[in-house]
Formats: sequence, C-alpha cells, structure tokens
Amino acid sequence: MLRAVERHRHLLDFALASLLRRKGKNAALIGVYTLVVFLLGSTLFFTHGIKREAARLLAEAPEIVVQRTVMGRYEPVPADWTEKVRALRGVSEVQPRLWGYYFDPGLKANYTFLVDRRAEPGKVLLGAALSRARGAYPGDTISFDAFDGTFTSFEVTGVLSEASELLSADLILIAEGDYRRLTGAPAGLVTDLAVRVPNAKEVPAVAEKIAGLFPHARPILRSEILRTYDSLFDWRGGMMLAVLSATLLAFLILAWDKATALSAEERREIGILKAVGWDTGDIMLMKFWEGCSVSLLAFGAGSLLAYWHVFAGNGFVIVAALKGWSTLYPSFRIAPYLGPEQLITLFFLTVVPYTAATIVPAWRAATVDPDQVMR
Amino acid sequence: MPRTISALLLLLAFAVPALAAGPLPKPAANVKCQVCGMFVAKYPDFLARIAFRDGAVAWFDGPKDLFRFYNNMAAYDRRHQKKDVAEVTVTNYYSLAAIDGKKALYVLGTDVFGPMGKELVPCSSRAEANDLMKDHKGTRILRFTEVTPALLKGLE
Repeated sequence: MLRAVERHRHLLDFALASLLRRKGKNAALIGVYTLVVFLLGSTLFFTHGIKREAARLLAEAPEIVVQRTVMGRYEPVPADWTEKVRALRGVSEVQPRLWGYYFDPGLKANYTFLVDRRAEPGKVLLGAALSRARGAYPGDTISFDAFDGTFTSFEVTGVLSEASELLSADLILIAEGDYRRLTGAPAGLVTDLAVRVPNAKEVPAVAEKIAGLFPHARPILRSEILRTYDSLFDWRGGMMLAVLSATLLAFLILAWDKATALSAEERREIGILKAVGWDTGDIMLMKFWEGCSVSLLAFGAGSLLAYWHVFAGNGFVIVAALKGWSTLYPSFRIAPYLGPEQLITLFFLTVVPYTAATIVPAWRAATVDPDQVMR
Repeated sequence: MPRTISALLLLLAFAVPALAAGPLPKPAANVKCQVCGMFVAKYPDFLARIAFRDGAVAWFDGPKDLFRFYNNMAAYDRRHQKKDVAEVTVTNYYSLAAIDGKKALYVLGTDVFGPMGKELVPCSSRAEANDLMKDHKGTRILRFTEVTPALLKGLE
C-alpha cells in the first residue's frame, strides 16, 4: 500500500518537473483552460444564483395574486372584491395592493411605486439602488411628475435594506392618498389582491373558486410565477452555454492537438524513459498526473475567478446577456451561494472532456518504440 | 370563590389562544411515523401527534396512521395504553393549524391525498367539513370516535 503511494508520489514529482521544463507551452494551455472554466463557471453560478434569489423572494410572495381583465387587457380590481375573496374557504388573508410603474426621463429608468403603511403622507421610502441613482438619502426631498402635469415633492424618510435588491432595488414606498393624487388612480380601485392560502394543496381549488366568483378575474399562482422565472433564466443560461460550447469545442481541439502532436523532444524523452526500464503503464500514469495537475490547477483557478466575478464583481462580463430583461433596471448584487451540484456540473463540462480528449494521444505516446525515436 | 373564577378566566385566556395557535411544532428531521416508518417532518400539512401522560410523544404522517395506532395500540407501543393518552393533535386541512384531534371532524373519500394515499382529512367545524365534502368529492364526515378499524381497512 505504502509502496504504491510512494510510486505515485514519484511519478507526480516527475510529471510536475516535466511540466515545468516546458513552462511557456503549458502556461498557455492552463491560461486558456482557466478562461474556459471561468466563462462556463460564471454562467452556471450566475444562472443558479439568480434563480435561487428569485425563489427566495417568491417564498414570501402570496400564493395567489388576483388581477382583472377587461377586453383581454389588464384593469385595476374593485376593492370590494377583497371581502368576497376573504370569505372563501381555505383563504387566510387577503391584502388589496396598490402599485404601479413610473418612468423617470432624467435617469431613463422605471421605478415601482408601492402603497405601504410604512410611508406616512408626504413622505416616501426608497429602494437602495434608486436612492444611489437619484442621490436621495433620508432627509432629502425627491420630486415626481404627477399625472396632471404638476410637480410633487416628497420627503425621503428611509432607504430599504440592501439585503436583497432584486425586487426592492427600484421600489418607492408611498402613502395611499399621495399615490392616488400622483397617478390619478380612482378611489375604490386597487392594482391587485394578494391572497394567502396556508395549504398549498388547496391553492388550485381557491383559484378556481375566485374565477367562478368573478369570471373576468385572473388568478396568478405563485408556483406559475416561479416556473416562469425558472424557465426564463434556464433559457438565458442555456443560450449562453450554447454560445460558450463553441469556445469549449475550440479548447478541446487545442488540447487534443497539443496532446497528439508530441514534439520530437518529448518523443525522445519517452523513448529514453522506456529504454531505462519504464513500461507503458508508468508512462500512462505520468501522463495522467500531468493531465490531472493541469486540470485541477485550471479548474481551481477558473472556479475561484468565476465565483469572485459573479458574487463580488456582479458578473460584469456576462451580465448583459443573462440579466437583460430591462436595461433600465438599477444594479443589484446576488447573495453568494455555491452548491456542490454547480461545481460537479462545471467539472463534467470541462475536466471530463479534457481528459477524454487527451487520453488516447497519451496512450499512443506511451506505446512508442524506444528504438525508433532514439535512432 | 371569586378567586377560583378569576383563576379559571385566566386559564381560559391562556388556553384559548394556545389551542387556536399555529401549526404543530416541527419535529426533528429523523422522527419517524410510529406506524409506517416514514420521516414525518417532510409532510407538515398532515402532521399528527399523540402525547402521553408520561411525557412521551408519538408522531404520525397523517390522521390515518394515527387512528391505526390508536385503535390497535398494543401492536405498536407496549409501554402505553389508550388510558395513557393525554392529547391527540392533528393538522387542520385549511389553516394548517394544530387542532384537538378528539374534537376534529374527519372527511372521508376526498380527492385530497396525504403522504400515505387516501386520508381522513381533519377539519375544525361542520361548515369546514361540508365545504371540503363539496369541493373535494368527500363521501362522509366522521367524528373521532366513529373511526373504526374496519373503516381504516377501506383506506389502504
């Protein structure tokens, strides 16, 4: 047992020394390899991170959101629906919500206004990204154009926490009266109803009853929203991976080519090793350790870089392709998270193809005839 | 006498919210159903529990298994008998709150399936049970004492 470990250790030693002897060539290979791992890893981590963030936020979301359609288009919901929906069996709570969008021509960004009890009349609370973008902090005054062309000012009393910016980045909390004055939303109408149903099994039945109660109501289930988000980000991630697969292929060709076209020097080296008593198995093992060192180094460096890029650098290289649902959206950070499944996927996408591409050339190199190469 | 009354009132004031409170406390991940052996923590929507006078607790992944245990305790638990049972708690289908299993109504024959298939679905009131019957094609509403071993056989 110990002898076998010793043998592997010596072979590894030899392999590393042999790698170091051809510094330039191997450094280039490791560089390209690292870049491939980095790109694929960034895409995987980012897609997973954003899906996880969406799921985490939606875990708090109401089980059903009720909207109304008129002539097939979305319309505000009469506030008196609230009591009727609350009376349905299986519903624990109904919250009428009043919210909407606002386009700021100065920043060229869309904000989301939400009526919330935390905001007193004449005062607003801002999302963290919005606060940064407008340079408005607690104590400052912020102005918006009302629907009738008047200019309305509010005092900023607070900034929402930065813990999760995906939904609160562009949010403004405002009092109900202020919001109706700003947008002209008529009294008695709300944007939608947030319905809480404790038992997930009962959600479809409640949605059916709501649709039965108000034929032009449109109940949207949380599970549907989650599924939509999932498929959206899966699709974006898939597109990105499809583009990157060309890079991966190019890299594999490079690796294969490098492993096949052994230089005369390398062939001579193998020939000499065989002449001094190494057998094919030893040379294969040495080549295996060479491949392992290159792979592990590139994989480690690439994943570390990808992690840093996604969670500390906000994924600046790939963000435009993956997050681009709205170019007007204020920036946000993803909570860092890395599960074993992403690392394993990344491993199978990079190290396994690399090993597969180099194993046959390695075997062919190991079976050269010493007499022929040294002659 | 007024003292007793105020003590009773106090007791009621605390007891009523305690009964109307949220779900059963979440059991540890390795707690198994005493009848079928499944891990119960994964199924909070049907969780059921029997607490004994000596402080011991038996968990179940649904009222069906709770009744199997309760109606044939000798087969599952040699240390306890029916008279040792202090409290039976089941999970209300609509609110997921913990309710007194002996006062609950159970709806039979619904299209609502628990972790072990067909279930006796617990409700707190007659109105809830009637709605459940209507919405989920139930066939009968039973009280705790009306659930018999023969009936449980039909739920397999």
